[in-house]
Amino acid sequence: MDADFASSPVSVLATLQRPPAGVWRQAWHRFRRNRAGMIGLVLVTLVVLTAIIGPFVAPYDPNDNAAMLRGASNAAPSARNWLGTDRNGYDVLSRTIYGAPTALAVGLGAMLIASLIGVLVGGVAGYVGGFTDEALMRGAEFFMVVPVFVVILAVVRLFGIIVVGTPLERIPNFNLMTIILLLGLFSWPQIARMTRAEFLRLRHAEFVEAARCIGTTPREILFRHILPNALPPLIVLVALGIGGAILAEAMVSFLGFGDPKSISWGQILFFNYQSLKVAPWACLAPGTAIFVTVLGFNLLADGLTDAFNPRVRA
Amino acid sequence: MGALRFLLRRLAFSAALILGVSFILFALINAIGNPIQILLSETPGVSEEMIATLSRYYGLDGNFIDRYGAWLWSIVHFDFGTSIIYNQPVGELLEVYGLETLKLQLPAILLSTLIATAAGVIAAMRQHGWADFSIVSSAMLGHSLPGFLVGIVLILIFSYWLGVLPSYGAYSTRNLMMGSMVIDGLWHMVLPVAMLTVFNTATLTLLMRSSLVDVLRQDYITAAWASGLPARRVVLHHALRNAFIPQLTYLGTLFGLMLGTAPVTETVFTWPGLGALYITAIHQLDYPVIMGVTMVITVMLVVATLLTDIAYVVIDPRIRLG
Amino acid sequence: MRSIPVSAPDPSPAKAGQPGPLLAVEGLKVHFHTRDGVVRAVDGVDFQVGTGQTLGIVGESGSGKTVASLTLLRLAPPPARIVAGRVVFEGENLLLQPDKRLAEIRGRRMAMIFQNPATSLNPILSVGQQLTEILRWHTGVSRQAALDRAAELLTLVGISDPAARLRQYPHELSGGMKQRVGIARALLCEPALLLADEPTTALDVTIQAQILDLLADLRQRLSMSMVLVTHDMGVVARMADRITVMYAGRVCETADADTIFNAPQHPYTRALLESVPRIDHSYSGARRVLPSIAGRPPDLLHAPPGCRFHDRCPEAAPECRRTMPREHLVAPGHSVSCLRRGSPGEETP
Ligand SMILES: Nc1ncnc2c1ncn2[C@@H]1O[C@H](COP(=O)(O)OP(=O)(O)OP(=O)(O)O)[C@@H](O)[C@H]1O
Ligand SMILES: [Mg+2]
Repeated sequence: MDADFASSPVSVLATLQRPPAGVWRQAWHRFRRNRAGMIGLVLVTLVVLTAIIGPFVAPYDPNDNAAMLRGASNAAPSARNWLGTDRNGYDVLSRTIYGAPTALAVGLGAMLIASLIGVLVGGVAGYVGGFTDEALMRGAEFFMVVPVFVVILAVVRLFGIIVVGTPLERIPNFNLMTIILLLGLFSWPQIARMTRAEFLRLRHAEFVEAARCIGTTPREILFRHILPNALPPLIVLVALGIGGAILAEAMVSFLGFGDPKSISWGQILFFNYQSLKVAPWACLAPGTAIFVTVLGFNLLADGLTDAFNPRVRA
Repeated sequence: MGALRFLLRRLAFSAALILGVSFILFALINAIGNPIQILLSETPGVSEEMIATLSRYYGLDGNFIDRYGAWLWSIVHFDFGTSIIYNQPVGELLEVYGLETLKLQLPAILLSTLIATAAGVIAAMRQHGWADFSIVSSAMLGHSLPGFLVGIVLILIFSYWLGVLPSYGAYSTRNLMMGSMVIDGLWHMVLPVAMLTVFNTATLTLLMRSSLVDVLRQDYITAAWASGLPARRVVLHHALRNAFIPQLTYLGTLFGLMLGTAPVTETVFTWPGLGALYITAIHQLDYPVIMGVTMVITVMLVVATLLTDIAYVVIDPRIRLG
Repeated sequence: MRSIPVSAPDPSPAKAGQPGPLLAVEGLKVHFHTRDGVVRAVDGVDFQVGTGQTLGIVGESGSGKTVASLTLLRLAPPPARIVAGRVVFEGENLLLQPDKRLAEIRGRRMAMIFQNPATSLNPILSVGQQLTEILRWHTGVSRQAALDRAAELLTLVGISDPAARLRQYPHELSGGMKQRVGIARALLCEPALLLADEPTTALDVTIQAQILDLLADLRQRLSMSMVLVTHDMGVVARMADRITVMYAGRVCETADADTIFNAPQHPYTRALLESVPRIDHSYSGARRVLPSIAGRPPDLLHAPPGCRFHDRCPEAAPECRRTMPREHLVAPGHSVSCLRRGSPGEETP
């Protein structure tokens, strides 16, 4: 329906100056009108704020189990413990608040690792092509079909035994870091595929061809022209991935393979699931926290998809 | 494209996958040393000879490559070894626990496909109306809802507060419901199946709606309307079948991953399935069971991919192979 | 049932039995309510098609031809809203008919062929399934009778070995063959009016000529009326009895084909014709896409006030910027909408 306008020489020159900053401003404009996306942004902001200022405002120290000594574990919500206490006498609200930084560390950490590997692998595959491409993408496919969750459970447990007696054991939260690393190691293939697809698309885009014609170095083409343009779909994937990683860590911990030394929502669930009947608040609070966080990132990703490709919806 | 070549490629990749996964796990298990030693080291009165004998019995002596080779060799003969904890052939355990897992997963996949299709059709037909809005919002919420949270809430409501449905196990330990194994079993299935259904339906609905919205925009659908066909024919006959094509991949994944989500479901409902078996095995370092369950899950994934390929060929005449 | 909401009241219901043109479109306005605002895709369009006549609708890309022709069957895609107007076909205002009645007319009295044969056949149903389904729905004949009739129609549209074709799927046919199937599908129930939206644009040049020949021939044999939407002046020159020229959602000029080519009045029509290498009335087989006229058609999201063409018009006067021209007759059967040709004005809001 569009006139064949993009191919006129004028527009080639117009797009020559990298992705116009306007793209981002336009996306933000569109994003602001997307209700789901805005709700997501609010929820994510809420979680981030909780993670940052939570420790200063939490009513109790997360490791304060004085309630148990008072015989007040599994106590219902009250003025003293707004969300009640759990099986071990911890204040549920405080522990839930302290779970936020852990969740964000998991989400961001795992996706940082996944993005680094994914962009590198996908970029090389897309840019070099040929046999390298074929080999790398086969590898990605392998990682995509591995029954991730099941493997992670086994690896976390076995790794925990392997490090016993090595210096690694003394690293604080080593177990959590293992989980983050594993989640990252298993989430890069999607990012690699998307990066590759974008690189293939952009390699022959007009403004890249034009940049090449006027003698821009390959490095500059890569970093100033291709990568910034490939960014929008990657951002969406990363937003989705953060939610996914947080959920995965919660499940790993819920099954009892988490890091006993760190406070995570999944851990709280693991410790309190047995007393669900007597103290449902101790499970519902961290459960809701996981839900809100994952929902936030999913909605955010939804809004971003919409903001970056306006054509998808009427 | 030759069907045979395609199939061979798929099979080669599957074989590589199975080998890769088993090798990684085997290597890791090997790296922790002798599980018998670890398990029994704290038990008083266990002598070195006993550990050596037991190790030999469970095939834990010899070097790594030999053992991996021996393990592969027996797997090819459907011999998964003997469980250290249960002292039973792993093959038998897989069968018994596997059936329990399928009992939950298959009905859930079937139910969620039906519900998601109906919801997706309604939403896509009333695009931007209130029905669409409520379906999409609840699917979006459900899509972010962790499965175990659904389970917890279901148990709280139906088992603890209303007291109408059992919260754990596959059968009652004392009195069977209405004195019948079948009814009692079904009764216990309700909540776990509901949890899995909620979990699967949300994502499937979102996918169904978006692919249906996409298909309804196609020229051939406008052409079907323009031919005067009634809504029922246009939507169910022309649009739905096309909209289902992109769904197949996800259904395949769901089918393949159903054993992957089993550990969580079965922990929430204390269900005696493969997932629970696997969790216990990992905790207890029951390595033949760990290897066995992982192999079943991987094979399941491979089978699911093959089934998906076949479904594509059946539903889409454009992909007639060979 | 897919049908777009109609928010216009019917000012004067058609008087039954009154002889009139087969199809009369009056004051049709179709707007898209998008998130960015209202796109006035069709903004006050009138035309008529007499029995046995072929009306050619020409205009640049985006001028609203497709939206207008889809609206005749009330099929414009979702965010579209019919804001005003009437579509009177065989004495009924289709915009007010219940969905059930409309479904009886679609495919039976008024049928449509589409621009892109590659996308307008359902990829997962065989040719036979797609054709017989429609026949059986409208006429209730047996499966075998429907298959026989479908084979007959395939022969009519020049497809050899119809029995084999009926078993094939769209992807097994060539582009030209698919378009023939699309035509056969439209003709199944011998409609009184055939809508053809750029039926040849997506085809190879040689195939284009064949399909046009086929359409001209079928129209004669079945004594159908036709609305032929196109970019291509060569095509209308060859096929149409009357021509309506559209620009930015409005009609500029309507007249007999000879008049349009020999004595065009509207500056836009003239510009169109001038930019085409000399048109002779025979189709030469060359592809003649509407030429580019300096400037771009207006963005229908922010339609300019006054005459839509004023910023590209060589004859524009100051009043053209403010006043929207209304169509009027300059000669019998020749209407023009241009202030410089004496059209009455309409203050734009
Ligand atoms: N779904 C839609 N949403 C918003 N605007 C639309 C939609 N469909 C069409 N339009 C707008 O309606 C106007 C008319 O489009 P239409 O397809 O009728 O043009 P056309 O004359 O058929 O052009 P072409 O020759 O390219 O087929 C265009 O400006 C287009 O942008
Ligand atoms: Mg068109």
